[in-house]
Amino acid sequence: MTPLAFSRSVAIALLRFAIWIAPQDTHDWGRGMLSELNHVEGNWSALIWSLGSAGVLAKHAVLAVILPGSHRRTVSTASELFEKEIPMRKATLAVIASCVAASLLFFLAPTFRQAFRVSLAQWHDIFHVRFDIDGQKSDPELQALARRAEQNHDAEGLAFVAARQPNKAEAIRLADEAVRLDSNLTWIYAVVAVQWSFFPELDRWVPALQRFDQTNALSYLITAEKIDIDQVGGKKIPRSMEEEPVAWKDAMEAAFRSGKLDTYSSQLKELDRRVLLRYRIDNPFQALDRHYWYGVPSYAVWDSYRYAKSLIEAADTLEAQGDPKPAREIYLSVARFGQLSGPDGGFFIGREAKEACKRLATLSEKDGNKTEASFYTSLADQFDKKAEMQRASWRSRSRGGSSVPHWNAFLVRVSGFLVLFCSGILVICTLGVVVRSRSMDFSSFRPSPLTLGLAFASAIGTLLSSAVLFVTYWPYSQLLQRFLRTSDDIHLSELSAFLGDTQLPLGSEFSQAGSWYVGTWNVVFFFWFAVTVLCAFALLIAFVRHFRTRPRTSAAA
Amino acid sequence: MKTPRLSPQTLRVLERFIEGPTAWRYGYELSRETGLKSGTLYPILMRLAKYGLLETKWVTTEDGVPPRHTYRLTPNGVALVRSTFADSRASARTALKARRPAFGGGKA
Repeated sequence: MTPLAFSRSVAIALLRFAIWIAPQDTHDWGRGMLSELNHVEGNWSALIWSLGSAGVLAKHAVLAVILPGSHRRTVSTASELFEKEIPMRKATLAVIASCVAASLLFFLAPTFRQAFRVSLAQWHDIFHVRFDIDGQKSDPELQALARRAEQNHDAEGLAFVAARQPNKAEAIRLADEAVRLDSNLTWIYAVVAVQWSFFPELDRWVPALQRFDQTNALSYLITAEKIDIDQVGGKKIPRSMEEEPVAWKDAMEAAFRSGKLDTYSSQLKELDRRVLLRYRIDNPFQALDRHYWYGVPSYAVWDSYRYAKSLIEAADTLEAQGDPKPAREIYLSVARFGQLSGPDGGFFIGREAKEACKRLATLSEKDGNKTEASFYTSLADQFDKKAEMQRASWRSRSRGGSSVPHWNAFLVRVSGFLVLFCSGILVICTLGVVVRSRSMDFSSFRPSPLTLGLAFASAIGTLLSSAVLFVTYWPYSQLLQRFLRTSDDIHLSELSAFLGDTQLPLGSEFSQAGSWYVGTWNVVFFFWFAVTVLCAFALLIAFVRHFRTRPRTSAAA
Repeated sequence: MKTPRLSPQTLRVLERFIEGPTAWRYGYELSRETGLKSGTLYPILMRLAKYGLLETKWVTTEDGVPPRHTYRLTPNGVALVRSTFADSRASARTALKARRPAFGGGKA
């Protein structure tokens, strides 16, 4: 007796197992299939026979679990024989239609529409949405809003768009128009100037800002930045403080002397809230576009640091020369500017401000004023803590922030993708049935079991993913609503972190040592590669099907 | 009476049975003749048997070889299937007539 080939042994084992799990009334059939296996020629054919048979038995096993107690019945007419298919198909079609209707009903809810929109954000990078239309960056939604605001002579609406407009010239024009309509909005100049840094209108805007808010250091920092960019453009980069132009030194001195450093973030937040409500904007990305905005010119960080450092050095020299009084004044100005710049800016000159406080504490101790010395010491510690908190926040943000918004964003992206994918399959199935029946008459549609199964699964998939998308996004929509209604922005950072993560294409993140990182560099390539491969595969299947099913002469005869 | 909805695969199986209504057929034999895989053939056979149109029997063929499950149409099944084919042929003839063009398409 020759030993059985491995594939035939597997076939026998598989079929035996299928018989074992199959319901009692199909055991005879199972044994019949098994006995036929002895007559199947070829080991691989035997395995294929076994796979098909096991599938049939497994289906009965599953059905026996889902529909227990089904009984045999006899039929007396031919129509009864196949009429079982009709209610089954009708029931399946009814389920598909119900799922599609329920999924479409979700779209009636504004929250779901918002959630769906958020879930689509992951495709923006892949399809380059909102960028480079006719060589100019633009956002159609913002353009439409700007047109409406201009028609209504709505200064706040124009300022709202100016702060977000990705097109520099348009942002400048809108800011000018907003201030022309309402001079109380002059602060929008600062917002736009910080964003775009260098443009001729600054010569007009900075004096206007200084007139509008004389004690604010921001306009001086903008001036200093403009001088910096001028120098970089003319390749005259100063190597030391002595080489800096007088205008720059004056601007920095004025900034350090100023009574406050207001980035107008609270005004901007209030303006955003009012405009969002007025124009019923339900795009959360527009609402929170400026949340991570520091509000100070990017050069100001480096400028403040260099200027503060040079001041401390100058004060050290004065102290060494035995002139502590002017040295104390200089240390005070650095410490004060450190405090002015708040938790955001404080991080950038935190070290210098802390140093200045320490020197002040030493000077106070020398003067025998212990109370003042301990005050400056505690101030120095505060700068330390503030800087550490800021660093921790930066680290957390760069690694994807808290895990809850991260995973919720992942769920939203996956469910949004599944809504699209399942709807796509459903549309393809429907088109396939219509094309095959060559008619739009519903009664003539004869979907194959495979088509019906696919449509059924995708309809269920669409409904489930819609539900998951809705439920996951709901808490975040509430956070946004609360901000719009009551100006409560306590949890806005959570919403921002969530929205930030929803913009990452699926598969662009990777985890390393418990932290999440983002790598979007090859997502676009992989996406289009997958699309190309799938299209090629679909074409191949279409060709094979065409040549296998085309009418032949012998068949026609 | 409604015309029963027949899948092409079921028709292929029934055609084989109706060629020799009294003969007992094996599963593998039917599979080879109809070109249907076991996963398609057996659900059809099971459904026919469930509705009393097919009878089954175990037969022993050779010594040492396990008995085989065999199938044939019941008299009731033969009658029903014949009426079904008659209806199908009538429908096909009607469809062909309907497709014939009114002018110029017929035989000279």
